[in-house]
Amino acid sequence: MSQWTEEMRTYRVGDVLPAVTKTITQAKINRYAEASGDHNPLHLDPAFAATTPFGGTIAHGMLVLAYVSEMMTAAFGPAWLRGGRFKVRFRGAARPGDRVTASGRIVRDEGGKIFCDVECRNQADELLVSGDGEVGIR
Amino acid sequence: MTLSLAALPKGHEFAETRIKLTSEWVAGYVRSVEDDAIGSVVEFGFPPLALAACSIRALLDQAALPDGAIHVGQELSFSLNRDTESEVVARARVASRGERQGWVLMGIELSVESESGAVMMSGRATITFPVSGGPAG
Repeated sequence: MSQWTEEMRTYRVGDVLPAVTKTITQAKINRYAEASGDHNPLHLDPAFAATTPFGGTIAHGMLVLAYVSEMMTAAFGPAWLRGGRFKVRFRGAARPGDRVTASGRIVRDEGGKIFCDVECRNQADELLVSGDGEVGIR
Repeated sequence: MTLSLAALPKGHEFAETRIKLTSEWVAGYVRSVEDDAIGSVVEFGFPPLALAACSIRALLDQAALPDGAIHVGQELSFSLNRDTESEVVARARVASRGERQGWVLMGIELSVESESGAVMMSGRATITFPVSGGPAG
């Protein structure tokens, strides 16, 4: 993987951020549970999850949110890591087999502080996550 | 025995936890979220949400999630630097708690600081679970 560089990067209101797409699997959910220590059976136990309104296991919200963070890292590099912020709502569940796409768009630039709308949708275009992100680039 | 988060009142403060961000744990986290971008920012050792994950892990070591708990919202801000220390201190408190139509809506403030006291991450998770919720798992 090549190193991120700031040269030639310009940001304009209306720019669409490079989308990140991942396929959710139960194995990935299990790996995230191990890393995070979140063993909620809603994510891990198909029998339990079948008794919930979701009808089956779902991915951790923070796993899906990590795809948004990856998109912001790819778009803004070190600036995102030095001083990023986001505020999101989890609107829908990502399930094993879903293809989840994180996307975003620059909506404001206030003197080098960039504001973005961000979201995640599944392959059926159902909204899973929506919110806004902020990053200082100067 | 671990408490259930469902039993905790507004204002409850979790014991602060010191966490060593080992390279093995970070690698496991990056693998689990398949972060293909973080490797291009070589001066930073891990994605910012890794800090959120480890702070949630510290919290869940002290209080179990109720059955069927759902994460409904998340606010996070972070300030990583090139000299990020590998040992961090995680803190959490129950910032709000309300009940409506049989469900609890709970806000939990999270923060992670470096050993020198610099705030590396702060935020708020909002979760909901049935009023009768017992510990998960």
